[in-house]
Amino acid sequence: MREDTIYWRSFEELTNHPDFVKNSQNEFNLPTAAEQDEAAQAPDRRDFLKKVGFGLTAAALASCETPVRHVIPFLAAPEQIDYSNANYYATSYLLEGEYCSLLIKTKAGRPIKIEGNKLSSITRGGTSARVQASLLGLYDSARYKKPELGKKEATWAAVDAKLALAVKSGKKVVLVTPSTPSPSFNEVVSRLKASIPTFEHVVYDALPNSGIIKANKINFGTGVVPSYDFSKAHTIVSLGADFLGTWVSPIEYSRQFGKMRRLGKQTKHMSRLYVVEPLMSLTGANADVRIMAKASQVGAYAAALYNAVSAKMGQASGVDAVTGIDTKAIARMADDLVANKGASLVVAGSNDPAVQQVVNAINYTLGNYGNTLNLTIPLLTNTGTEEGIASLVTGLQNGSIGTVIFSGVDPVYTHPQGDTLKGLLKNAVTVSLDHTPTDTSDVCGIVAPGHHFLEAWGDYMPKPGFYSLGQPVITPLFQTRQAEETLLKLAGYNGQYYDFIQAVWKTKVFPQQSIYTSFTQFWNYTLHDGIFEVGRPSLRGKELAANGGDLEAPYEYLSISGTAPASFAFSNRVAATLAAKPASTGMEVVVYQKVGMGAGTQGNNPWLLEFPDPITRITWENYVTVAPEVATAKGISLNECQTSLVTVKVNGKEYSLPAIVQPGQDPNTLGIALGFGRKVVGKAGEGRGKNVFPLVSLAAGFTDYIAKGATLENTSETYMIGAVQTSHTNAGRPVIQEATLAEYQKEATAGRYMPKINTPDGPMNPTDLSLWKTEVNKRPNHAWGMNIDLNSCIGCGACVVSCNVENNVAIVGKQEVVNRREMHWIRIDRYYSSQKTRDEGASNTELETAAKNPRVTFQPMMCQHCNSAPCETVCPVLATTHSSEGLNQMTYNRCIGTRYCANNCPYKVRRFNWFSYPQNAERFSIGTFNDSLARMVLNPDVTVRARGVMEKCSFCIQRIQDGKLQAKKEGRRPVDGEIITACAQACPTDAITFGDMNDPNSRVSAAINEQYEERAFRVLEELNVRPSVSYLTKIRNT
Amino acid sequence: MEHGPKKYIIGVYADDDVVLQAVPQVRAQGIRIYEVYSPFPIHGIDPALGYKRSRLPIAAFMFGATGLTCAITLISLTMGSDWPLNVGGKPHVSVSMVPVVFEGTVLFAALGMVGSFFLASNLGPGSKKVIFDPRASDDKFIIAIEVDSNKKTPEEDIKQALRNTGAIEVYEKEVEV
Amino acid sequence: MNVTASIRPHLVNGGKTVSDVTNDISRQVESAPTRLWWMAFGASLVLLGWGSYCLLTTWFVGIGVWGLNKTVGWAWDITNFVWWVGIGHAGTLISAVLLLFRQKWRMAINRSAEAMTIFAVLCAATFILAHMGRTWLAHWALPLGNTYGSLWVNFNSPLVWDVFAISTYLTVSLVFWYIGLIPDLATIRDRAQKPLSRFIYGLLAFGWNGGAKDWSRYESVSLILAGLSTPLVLSVHTIVSMDFATSLEPGWHTTIFPPYFVAGAIFSGFAMVQTLLLITRRVFKLEDYITVEHIDSMNKVIMVTGSVVGIAYITEFFIAWYSGVTYEQYAFTNRMFGPYWWAYWSMMSCNVISPQLFWSRKLRRNIATSFIISIVVNIGMWFERFVIIVSSLHRDYLPSSWAMFEPTMYDVGDYIFSFGLFFTLFFLFAKFLPVVNMAEIKGIIKGSSAPKEGQLKEAQPVQPATASN
Repeated sequence: MREDTIYWRSFEELTNHPDFVKNSQNEFNLPTAAEQDEAAQAPDRRDFLKKVGFGLTAAALASCETPVRHVIPFLAAPEQIDYSNANYYATSYLLEGEYCSLLIKTKAGRPIKIEGNKLSSITRGGTSARVQASLLGLYDSARYKKPELGKKEATWAAVDAKLALAVKSGKKVVLVTPSTPSPSFNEVVSRLKASIPTFEHVVYDALPNSGIIKANKINFGTGVVPSYDFSKAHTIVSLGADFLGTWVSPIEYSRQFGKMRRLGKQTKHMSRLYVVEPLMSLTGANADVRIMAKASQVGAYAAALYNAVSAKMGQASGVDAVTGIDTKAIARMADDLVANKGASLVVAGSNDPAVQQVVNAINYTLGNYGNTLNLTIPLLTNTGTEEGIASLVTGLQNGSIGTVIFSGVDPVYTHPQGDTLKGLLKNAVTVSLDHTPTDTSDVCGIVAPGHHFLEAWGDYMPKPGFYSLGQPVITPLFQTRQAEETLLKLAGYNGQYYDFIQAVWKTKVFPQQSIYTSFTQFWNYTLHDGIFEVGRPSLRGKELAANGGDLEAPYEYLSISGTAPASFAFSNRVAATLAAKPASTGMEVVVYQKVGMGAGTQGNNPWLLEFPDPITRITWENYVTVAPEVATAKGISLNECQTSLVTVKVNGKEYSLPAIVQPGQDPNTLGIALGFGRKVVGKAGEGRGKNVFPLVSLAAGFTDYIAKGATLENTSETYMIGAVQTSHTNAGRPVIQEATLAEYQKEATAGRYMPKINTPDGPMNPTDLSLWKTEVNKRPNHAWGMNIDLNSCIGCGACVVSCNVENNVAIVGKQEVVNRREMHWIRIDRYYSSQKTRDEGASNTELETAAKNPRVTFQPMMCQHCNSAPCETVCPVLATTHSSEGLNQMTYNRCIGTRYCANNCPYKVRRFNWFSYPQNAERFSIGTFNDSLARMVLNPDVTVRARGVMEKCSFCIQRIQDGKLQAKKEGRRPVDGEIITACAQACPTDAITFGDMNDPNSRVSAAINEQYEERAFRVLEELNVRPSVSYLTKIRNT
Repeated sequence: MEHGPKKYIIGVYADDDVVLQAVPQVRAQGIRIYEVYSPFPIHGIDPALGYKRSRLPIAAFMFGATGLTCAITLISLTMGSDWPLNVGGKPHVSVSMVPVVFEGTVLFAALGMVGSFFLASNLGPGSKKVIFDPRASDDKFIIAIEVDSNKKTPEEDIKQALRNTGAIEVYEKEVEV
Repeated sequence: MNVTASIRPHLVNGGKTVSDVTNDISRQVESAPTRLWWMAFGASLVLLGWGSYCLLTTWFVGIGVWGLNKTVGWAWDITNFVWWVGIGHAGTLISAVLLLFRQKWRMAINRSAEAMTIFAVLCAATFILAHMGRTWLAHWALPLGNTYGSLWVNFNSPLVWDVFAISTYLTVSLVFWYIGLIPDLATIRDRAQKPLSRFIYGLLAFGWNGGAKDWSRYESVSLILAGLSTPLVLSVHTIVSMDFATSLEPGWHTTIFPPYFVAGAIFSGFAMVQTLLLITRRVFKLEDYITVEHIDSMNKVIMVTGSVVGIAYITEFFIAWYSGVTYEQYAFTNRMFGPYWWAYWSMMSCNVISPQLFWSRKLRRNIATSFIISIVVNIGMWFERFVIIVSSLHRDYLPSSWAMFEPTMYDVGDYIFSFGLFFTLFFLFAKFLPVVNMAEIKGIIKGSSAPKEGQLKEAQPVQPATASN
C-alpha cells in the first residue's frame, strides 16, 4: 500500500466520524468476548466453537425481539459472520410431549436444517423424523400472518384491547396449554394467576400418560412419569409400549436402546427385547421375541408376568393362573427378568392405571427402581391429565367460563368430544395463540398468533435439573408475537420475553451452578450450548478435548441412577382383577400413533406426509391395518398400490378407509393411525385420511385407545394407496444377513453369506477378481465410506427426512408415489421373514409371503458409491463418474436422461426427474419447490434438479466439501466425525457411521476393520461392484 | 480435347449377347469403340472393350484404413489423455473401443468408395453426360464410335461393320461433348 | 450374362421382355396415384398426426407422461426401438448377403426391402430421441467436445456404440439403396414426358447413361458395399443386444444375446418385408415379379430364423438354471409365471410355434397364411423385447424396489407415431420411386423369365456358361 494513498470503506471512516468510531467498537462487543475465550481453548474443539461461537452474536442477530443494539446486518457483520458460511445455533424442540435439544443450521440468516445437539445428555444429538421435519413448519404458507379478530385481519393494538377486555369479564379465564416444563412459562402463569383472580391454567395433552402418573401416585405417592434408562436394561419387556417410536420420549429411549444393541470384538452381549402387542409397532419390529395379543389382553399378560416374577422372587402375587395367553412366553420373560433383576425393565403402553401399577410392581419386585427407572428425576414433558379438559367442558357448559385461551393445543380435533367442545366454545370468548390454523383456532374469535419455535425465545426443563434454552434463529417472518408476551401483557408486563427469561434464569437457574461468576457469562455459554445441566461441569474446555471433537456427552452424565423409593403401596388385588378380566370378544380397533405423524400437530408438513411409515411403507394418509387371515377372509388383497376400501363400524361410528394387510397383527385387532383427517390444516394436509380421535374413549376417566366390538366390511371398492414398497419379504435372498446372538457368540461370521466365484485357481472372493490389470481407483487423499449397523438401526426414518431436507429432495405428492416415483435418496427397506426358508424348500411364492408373526429387518439403502460402479460404465455422456475420493458423482448438467444408469443399478437407488418438479406449480403445488415461502427452506449448497436428469445420494458432498474447506482454512486434516452425512447426523442410535476409510483411526474404518470378515458385509457382494457402503449383520437375541 | 460438336456413329442392338459378340469383331477391324451403353450390365464386356479392372476396391481399403486410424486415435485421445475420467474403475482405454472402431472403419470405407465412384464416373446431381440414345436405358444396347478417332477407317466401313455384327439400326449423330 | 440352371424355378412370370419390365415397373411411377394408394397414404397420415400429438406432449411435459417408474426405467420406448432396428435388418441383409450368395430371387424384392430398412431405422431413431429425459441435448451423445473442449463421450457405454452403429448402418444402407436406384432413375428420366419430372429425375439420376465403364465400376461398388454391409448388418443388432448383455441385470446379462438378437432381427425383418411385399405386389399388380417363389423362399427363412430364436429362448432358460445364480433363475421363472406371464407366452406362441406351420409347402405358398403369420411374427418379436426389458427390470435384485409397469396413452401414442412415419414414407417411396430394381431384373430376364403359354421365348439361345461369372 503506498504511503500517500488512504484506503477507506465508507465516508464515516474516511472522515473518521465519531459515531463510526464508537459503533465500530460497541458493535462487536459480544463476538470479541467469544473470540478471546475461544483463543484460550484447546485446538480440538476449535471447529465446533467456530460454528456455535457465532451463536452468541447470532442469538442477538436473529432475535428481533431483543433491543436493536444487537442487530448486526450482514453489511457490517463481524468477520466470522459470513453470508456464505453456515452458522449453527442451539435451541430446543418441544412438541406433543417430545423434547429434543437442537442445533439449527442457518445460512444467510435462514434456518435450513435441524441437527441434534450432542451436548444434551437427554437426547444426545439424536433426532426423529418429526423433529427433522418441524423446520418446514416455519415456512408453512398456511401460517397466520397477522392477528385476526373474527376471521378478519386486525392490528395487535386492537387484539390487545379485546384481550384486556375479555379477561376483565369477571368470569373464569382459562389458559389451555400442553404440559410446558418451562421455568419462565411457569412464571408467566403465576403472574397471570396473581393479576387475574379468575385465571385458571389447564394442562391438556392430546395423548396423556395419566395412567402412569396415577399409578405412581398410588404406588409411590408421586404422580410423575419416571425416567427410564434402557441403556442399563439387559432384559426389556414392553407390553404394547412403542418406546422406540411414539411412547413418552422415543428419541431418548432409542439412543439408550441402541447402545445396548452394539456388538463387536469386546461386546458379545446385547439386551433382549420382549414385546407383547396387538399391532406391529416400530418397537415390535425391533423385538427379539414378539408375542401378538389383543390390546385388551395386555393387562392379563402384565398380571401373569407379575405372577411369574413374584413366584420366582418368592413372593405372593395373589394372581391365579391366567388363561388364554402364551404362558410359555411369560415363563421365559420371567426367567429372563429375574436373571437380570436390577438390570431389567418392564414398560406398558396402556393408559390403564391398573396395568401400570402391576408393571410398577414387577419393576419394584425386580429392584429396577434406582437402576433402570428413576422417580426422583421424572420426565416433565407430558404430565397432563384428563381432569383439566373435563373441567373446561363442564365450565363451558355451566357458563362459568368467560374466556378460553388456547396455546399449542387443538382439543377440537384431538379430544374425543371435540365436536361438543366446538359447540360449547361459542359460549365464551375464545383466543388462540397458535402460529398455524388448527381446528380449534379456527373457531376462536381472537387469533393472536405466536411464533414458530424457531422464531421464539423459550426455556425448558424436560427433567428437574436439566435446563434447555430455545432461541430464535430468524426474524419473525410475519406479524406474529411471542405467545408469552401476549399473555404477559394481560398480567401487565410489557417487556420483552427475552429479558423476562433472563430475569427468571438470573434468580432461578444461575444460583444452581458455580462455574460462572457473572450471569452474562453463564447466560451466553448456556445459550451457546443450548443446555445447562445441574451438577454437570461446563461442556467446554477439557471435556471436549477429552472427547476429541466428538461432542457427545459421556453416559455418566445421565445421572438418573437415583435411589430406590422408600415405600411401595400396592395391593395384589389390582393384579388379580386384571388377571380375571376377560379379553373382549369380537374385534378391537386400536388407534395408534404413526412414527411420522403422532397426534397430527404437523399435519400440514409434506415431508412428514410423504415420509413412508417405517412398518407399512405407506405415505400421505391413514388406513386400517388388518391381519392377513382377516384380509383373506374378507377378500382384501394388496396388489401393488391397489387395495380395497373397507368400512369399520365401532361405537356407533363408521369409517371408510383403505385396508392394509399387516403381518404380525393380532387377528382380532384392527389398527387405525391418529393424526390425520384434520379439517383445518392447510394445502398439504387437506383431506388426508380420516380422524379417529373420536374413537378414543375415557375408561374410568383415563384415555383409552381401544374401541371394542368393531365390525369390518369390505366394500370391494378399489383404492390406490401411496406405498413405496410393495414386495415385503427378502424372497430368501441374502440382501440382509442375520443370525441369532447364540450363533454369533459361537461363530462371529454367523449369518454371513460369503459368495465365492469358481475360477481355475479354485473358489475366490468376488472382490479378488478383476478383468483389468490396471487399477484406476486410486484414493490419494480421502476414501469416503459408510457403515450401517443393522443391529442398532431401529428403522425410525429420521435419516430419510434429514436427507430430504439437506438435499432438496423433491416432494412429488401421493399420485406420483402411487406411480412408484418417490424421489427419496435414502430409503429404509423393511423386510419381513417368510414362514419357510429356501433351505426348507420354500417356493418363490412362499418366500414372497410374510410369516404370520414375522421377524422384521430394516435396511437403510442409499447409493452404495460402488468403486466398480455399473451405472458409470453405461452412461453415454460421462454424466456419472468416479471421484478420486471414492464418490460416485452425478453431474446433473451433463445428464441427458437415458435412465440406463438407473436400470443398471442393482440397488435401484437412482431417482429420475420425470417432470419438472420446480417451476411446475400446476402439477406439484404441494412441497418446497413451488411455494415462495417454502422455497426458503431449500439448501443453497445443493442444486435443485431440472427435469429429465438423474439424481441420487451424493454422500452429502456439499458437507464433505464444507468440512474440507474448514480444515484447509485452518491448515489441518479434517478431524474424524467433523465431516458426516445428514443421515448419519440425524440417526438417534448412531447406526450410521460415515468417514474417511484412508484414515485407519476413523470410526468407520474401525467399525469395518474390527468386524472385517465377521459381521461386516456388502450388499450383493457377488456382483463385485465394490460398494463404499458396508453393513453389519443383524443379530437377534432370540 | 478440342470443343465443338463431334460426329459419332451409333449402332443400336436389341440383345446383349449380340453386342457381346459384336464388340470384339468391330474392334478386330481396327475400329476404336467410343463406348457401349446398356440398360443393365453386360457381363464380360469389359475385357472385350479392353477395360482394366476398376481400382475402387483399393480406394475402399484405403478409406477403411483411414477410418480405423481416426476412430482409434479419437478414442485414445479423448478417453486416455485429454481427460482420463474414472469410469467404473475401468482402464481408460480398453477393448471396449472395438465396436466404435469397427463402425468407423465401415463408414469411412463405404462413403469414401462411393465418393470416388461418383468422381471417377463424373456422376452427381446435375452432371451432364452424353445420352446417345435414350433407349439405352430401356431395352436397347448402343455402340458409339467417334468418327474423328477412326480417321483411317471410312465411315461406311464402320457402319457396315456394325450392321454385319447384328446392329438393328445404324445412324450418325452430332454430339456436343 | 448369367446362366441359371433350368431346374431352378423361374423368377419372373408371364413371358416378360426387357421392355415389358421397363413399362411394368415405371408405370406406377408415371401414372397418377390410385384411389387405393390415396386411402393407404391418408390412413398413415392420420396415424402420424395422432402420434405427433402424443410425441410432442411427451417432449414438452416430460417422460413422466409414460408409465415408467423408479424401478422400470425403460419399457415401450426401448422395446419399440429394438423392434424397429430389428425390422430394419432385412433390407440390407437381403440385398447384401443374398447378393454375395448370388441369390437371384432377391432382385425383385431388395429395392423395397432396403427402403423398408431405411424407414424402420428412422423410426428406431425417433425412440432414441424420445426416450431421453432431455432430448434437446441429444447431440451430447455424439463425439463432440463439450463447450470447454475436454468432455467427450463415454466410449465404454453401449449406448454410444449404438449411436455409432445405428448412424453408420443408416448411412450405408441409404447409400447402398441409392446406388441401386441410379440406373432405374435414369430409365424413368429418359421416359419422362413432363419437363418437371424430367428435370427432377434428371437430378436424381446423377447423369447416368449406362456406359460400360460406369457399369463395371457400378458393379464392383455394389459388390464391395455388399461386402461391407454384411458384417455391418450383423454388428448393428449385436451392439444393440450389448445394451443388455453388458449390463448386470438378471435376464439382461446373457452372453447368448448377440447371435440371438441377430437371428431375431432377421426373423422380424423378413416377416415385415413379407407383409409389405404381399401388399405391394397386390397394389401395384407386380404378381409376375414378386412371385410365389419369392414368398416361399421368404417363408423358409422365417421358419429357420424363428426356430433359431426358439432355441435361443430355451438355451437362455437352461443357462439361467445351470448358472446356479438365484437372481438369474428367478428372473426366468418370473418371466414364465410372474405377473408378466402373458407377455412371455404370447412371445413363445407367436415366435416359436407359429412359424413351424411353414414346414408344410402348401402353407408356405399360401398368400393368406404367409400374410397372417408375417404379422403374428412381428407381434411376437415386439413381445420378445418387452419381455426382455420389462420382466427383467421390474423384479431385479432387491425385492424392496420391485414394481410393475403399466403403459399410458402416451406410451401407445408414441408407438403409433412410428407406424405413421413408417407407412407415410413407404407409400411415398412406392409411388415416386421404382419399387423393383429394373436393371437387375432385366439382367436375368433371359435366364429366368417363364414363357407365356403358347409363345416361344424370343430371346437368343443362351450362351455357354463360360461367359458367365
